[in-house]
Amino acid sequence: MLGNALIAFAGFVALCLAMEKHFSDLLGRKPRPGQLRLLRVVGWLLLMLSLALSVHLRGWAHGLVEWTAVTMAGVTLWVFGLPYQPRLLLGLAAASGVLGPLLAVFAV
Amino acid sequence: MKEGFRQAMAWLHTWTGLIFGWLLFAIFLTGTLSYFKEEITHWSQPEVRSHALDPVNSLGVAQRYLQDNAGHSGTWFIRMPNAREAALSVGYRDPNGGPRGFVSKTLDTQTGQPVEARDSRGGEFFYRFHFQLQMPHPFGRWLSTFCAFIMLLGLVTGIITHKKIFKEFFTFRPGKGQRSWLDGHNAIGVLVLPFHLMISYSSLVLFMYMVMPAGIMASYGNDTDKYFNDLFGRNDAPKAAQVATPLVALPSLYAKVQALQPGARIGNIQVQNPGDSNARVTFTQSAADHVAYRRSANWTFDGASGALLSQGKPESGAMMTAFSFAGLHMGNFAGPWLRWLYFFFGVAGTAVIGTGLVMWLGKRQLKHAKSEHMPGELRLVEVLNIASMSGLLLAVAGFFWANRLMPMGVEGRSDWEVNAFFIAWGLSLVHAVLRSGRRAWGEQLALGALAFTLLPLLNGLTTDRGLNHSLPEGDWAMAGFDLTALGTGLFLAWLASKMLRSPKPVAKRAARAAKKPSTETAEAS
Repeated sequence: MLGNALIAFAGFVALCLAMEKHFSDLLGRKPRPGQLRLLRVVGWLLLMLSLALSVHLRGWAHGLVEWTAVTMAGVTLWVFGLPYQPRLLLGLAAASGVLGPLLAVFAV
Repeated sequence: MKEGFRQAMAWLHTWTGLIFGWLLFAIFLTGTLSYFKEEITHWSQPEVRSHALDPVNSLGVAQRYLQDNAGHSGTWFIRMPNAREAALSVGYRDPNGGPRGFVSKTLDTQTGQPVEARDSRGGEFFYRFHFQLQMPHPFGRWLSTFCAFIMLLGLVTGIITHKKIFKEFFTFRPGKGQRSWLDGHNAIGVLVLPFHLMISYSSLVLFMYMVMPAGIMASYGNDTDKYFNDLFGRNDAPKAAQVATPLVALPSLYAKVQALQPGARIGNIQVQNPGDSNARVTFTQSAADHVAYRRSANWTFDGASGALLSQGKPESGAMMTAFSFAGLHMGNFAGPWLRWLYFFFGVAGTAVIGTGLVMWLGKRQLKHAKSEHMPGELRLVEVLNIASMSGLLLAVAGFFWANRLMPMGVEGRSDWEVNAFFIAWGLSLVHAVLRSGRRAWGEQLALGALAFTLLPLLNGLTTDRGLNHSLPEGDWAMAGFDLTALGTGLFLAWLASKMLRSPKPVAKRAARAAKKPSTETAEAS
């Protein structure tokens, strides 16, 4: 489930960065054309992927509940941690994007 | 007029939130504690030791004890130990013994003897309080259900009032006074919204039989038991035939259940007319086995012959929907990490209510920042805010301190623990009346910090279950309680230091109000 949690976390971070205000605040530059749209697509895809994996691994009942729980936990951590530790959280998000799928593949 | 609807909703949100916020805060906090009901009970009764789970042995132990001690009783109840609950609980109706004609004992699964545990309600107290509010039946349930309705109303009106729900989805700006409180209130409400909606709606589903009984009464009159029997596929046990017949061995029935439903964990067993030819034994599956709280997952056997008489009917779609909401609310199915998330979401729900109450007052205090005295109604809200939030934390701490300090043999010991809870709460109200707002907050939070931080030490001194024992032995429920108390204490200490250190609110607010808007924006950028 940790793998799914990390994928969902990366997904929400991508959706957050897909907003122009957050993109320029966090990355310190203006987004190039098309970048925001790409981030939005990637974010939704990651969220859907983690949901599909969760249901696949744990069945509909547990899968849906656990996915909702880890998603809410991840995004809450992001929003309330961001003003204090933006670099750490960005790093964590980048690591999640890589580590999440790896964990999900090998933990099956 | 364009904003008319939204303004009306904002008004409703503000005022229902204020009136019911204090009670809702208590309901949410004690409800959140209930996710660790069994663990709290384990801490509250350190005499009950956990052993490796062995259902067959436990059933044999329970049956032997009840046959020796409750042969005259018409009904036995057995609650099996499980991963979270060390106790093997047995109970029986006995018109001559126990309070309200009911005797309950906790057995040690290895010795088969009752455990002489301290008399404490443990986690059960917080669990019961969160929907009965220590009021006589049925008023507490009605009031808490109404509060759940108000919470749901608060969520819906809050969503309507919140103009930038998506635009500010990821926004939290700390260190900006009222702005930060609103950000925090919104973010924690929106980000954990699925939990908030689920928990308040499911509370209504849980009590729907009480809140909307018309449909049942129209078909069944006052015989509502028959409705539930029909619904869950149960039959009333026949009257005792007065023909003595030995009860079949319960472990053999357990084996039959395992054959019907491999791997099923058993929660409760009820035996009616034990030792009679009309004996009935009902096994109910543990709620931890499904996400949905399936009350119909049960098997009834003839206690004389051991034949399977009936098993729970398959659920209809409507029933499964209701059971799913009930199961999601209670979270019996949750393993350790999901249980912790449930706990934190519960804390989040509590925080939404708390931040709302603080904001209501903060906004109105601003208008009186320059005058010496706060109007009476604002002072009233301030006192109630303090007593209902930091005071409640002191009450919870009081309960646990009483649990460790009250002598073992005192008559009505468990009632005195509950009294300690309410006495601490009452004293905090008195304290809040006597002290000025910020001082009262700071002092109560500091006392709470002290009380929670020292709990692990108190546990270590008064029992042999302190962290130095529980950690090496891997008793995670015990150690987890102590460490959570420690964490809570440190968090409260941080809050208290913020409250006690900063300047008086009046001076601070006045200073901020006096600031030019230009400096405000310069700070923000």
